[in-house]
Amino acid sequence: MERDIFIIGSGQTPFGEWWDKGIRELADDAIEKALENAPCSAIDIDMVIVANMLAEHVSGQAHLGSMIASLLPHQPPAIRAEAACASGAVAMHTACSMLESGRARNILVVGVEKMTDADNSTITSALMGAADNDKDAPSGITFPGLFGLIASRYMHEYGLTREQLSCVSSLHHAQAMDNPNAQFRSPAMPDQVSASPLVADPLRLLDCSPISDGAAACILSTEHKSPLRLAASQITTDTTSITGRTNLTSFAATREAMEHALTEAAIERSDISTVELHDCFSIAAVISLEDLGFAEPGRGIELYQHPDPAFGINRSGGLKACGHPVGATGIKQVVEIGKQLLQSKKQWGLAQNFGGIGATCCIHIIENLSSTHSHV
Amino acid sequence: MYDTPASLSRQQKQRRNRNQPGTVLAYTTVRHPPTGFGESPRQIALISLEDGTRVLGNMTTQEPLEIGQAVIPRMRLMRTNEQGLRTYDIAYEPVMPVRQAMQRHPGRYIVALTGPSGVGKTTINLLLSSGLSEYVQHVPILTTRTPKTGDADEYRHISMEEFTQRKKAGEIIAATAIPSRHEKRWYGYCRKDIEAIWKKGKIPTVVTEMHLLQDLAQYYGRRSIISCGLLPPGRSRRAMLSQLLHRLRKRGRDSEESIEDRIRNAESDLQFFEQRADLFDHLIVNEDLERATGIIKHSVLRLSAMTSNPIES
Repeated sequence: MERDIFIIGSGQTPFGEWWDKGIRELADDAIEKALENAPCSAIDIDMVIVANMLAEHVSGQAHLGSMIASLLPHQPPAIRAEAACASGAVAMHTACSMLESGRARNILVVGVEKMTDADNSTITSALMGAADNDKDAPSGITFPGLFGLIASRYMHEYGLTREQLSCVSSLHHAQAMDNPNAQFRSPAMPDQVSASPLVADPLRLLDCSPISDGAAACILSTEHKSPLRLAASQITTDTTSITGRTNLTSFAATREAMEHALTEAAIERSDISTVELHDCFSIAAVISLEDLGFAEPGRGIELYQHPDPAFGINRSGGLKACGHPVGATGIKQVVEIGKQLLQSKKQWGLAQNFGGIGATCCIHIIENLSSTHSHV
Repeated sequence: MYDTPASLSRQQKQRRNRNQPGTVLAYTTVRHPPTGFGESPRQIALISLEDGTRVLGNMTTQEPLEIGQAVIPRMRLMRTNEQGLRTYDIAYEPVMPVRQAMQRHPGRYIVALTGPSGVGKTTINLLLSSGLSEYVQHVPILTTRTPKTGDADEYRHISMEEFTQRKKAGEIIAATAIPSRHEKRWYGYCRKDIEAIWKKGKIPTVVTEMHLLQDLAQYYGRRSIISCGLLPPGRSRRAMLSQLLHRLRKRGRDSEESIEDRIRNAESDLQFFEQRADLFDHLIVNEDLERATGIIKHSVLRLSAMTSNPIES
């Protein structure tokens, strides 16, 4: 990081089915909450970056930059960032670049997604936009299908069983019980996960993150200070199509982004006490833990079978139980890590957000300067 | 997915590259296909093709797959778009791995006679079972069609309900509906019938058509089937068909309407010989009955020498 960037305000709407709210209302709610606890006022925002993937498909709305900027009294400059499910984190990354360059000093980053207005098949087709339209889509594969392929290969290579995999969603549901913003605040036992209807073999309904509405916002600043500093922001990419991959059980983009992020933050992996990772499907959480280096290849599941109380994995409930309004997720993860660090007084937290089948991966490391270990 | 005629045409340019055999790297069944792909589940695999490229392809069957399984390309109707444009594309058919086929009934064989109606399958089969009765035994065909005079003892008639129920229970391992203008007639083979003949130390012989043959090859493994394709004499397809027509009329078992049905089916049977040459060990032109029977007898005797011990069970 060329400059010290602080998270000076953050907020989110609860994730869920918001029948009475559209994109504008959802974004407005999140912005209001972010401004509420910020040391600056709306008028100090000198740029807005909006993260969203599906507005054209679901709401017939493009041009979100100006639309969301007009929610502020002074219509600041605004752009939209899109990188499928990684849109949120890519918007954060874009904001960092703007702040580092000095073009802006206080940026409002808003992720918003309205998904429940469209029927299931429209959403399924729209989400396939995250894969390769020439190489993947003509086969009739869906996104759960792509991760079904990955899960079948992972099970073949490492002997992961259906029963083991069910621990992932079960833990996410258990942790969402304590999150007032979560879409599903109800337990899901591993055998319920194993018995839920098949979506794309071997993945079942309770392996999949839901269709959600929601928004999350945070204000990043080089002008104002706060206890939460963005220590690293890294983005990497890989092939959009699954047919371009040689390895199906590990995402190179996550591994690379993690190495770069640790170098940028100048910390060790073991310094990190809490992570929000991208569990769009249960198998993705297992693979992410391995790619982030918290588990050996083939052993990511052990961290779900025997959770370590000192190491938080998706305390928010993750994408599965907290909900996954696509564009909002990457920002919600950062908001959530900030909240967890302040509560636990721990120093380092990490958010991993990816798009497609790990085709864009974005990692943010956040430092809590008020933690007992911090020297600042 | 955008499926304008122009984008579909661009996609089809890639089709030739996908027309290669390969191996399954990963597979899934999409239970809820996207818009335009129909309602029923689709089995889709990531396949490593012979030239090293990887593709996503539909499987031709819903049968359980295995990672590492060999597949061969087949042309299939993929979907029909909103304007009614039908898209054909390469799908992949699993080739039963040798290991699996051998495990099922190691060293056991079935002699299959395939060919269009009137080519002489039943006659050759009768000659085999009378001439080589200590080596071979005919497997009865289960059928839902109504019995009629002139039927040899090759059929065992059962009701439609029984057929469906036994097929569901996995007892009928090869089944096909042969189209006719009056009724949908089902034909099939029962696993127990075949295996009972093996227990006696004999080789089962079956009179099949293309679907039954494929089902048998799928179930027991291609290598367990000694597959003989019988062709009518004739230089062209047309000459072959007229030869069949002549034989069907001469045998006097069928009505003129039924003969028309049979000739129509015979056309696709003859095509099948060309398209699926891989499913046949011998293609025999039945010009001289004795010679044709002789070729098959010869393979039967060779097989019997190889598998002379009855299965202990």
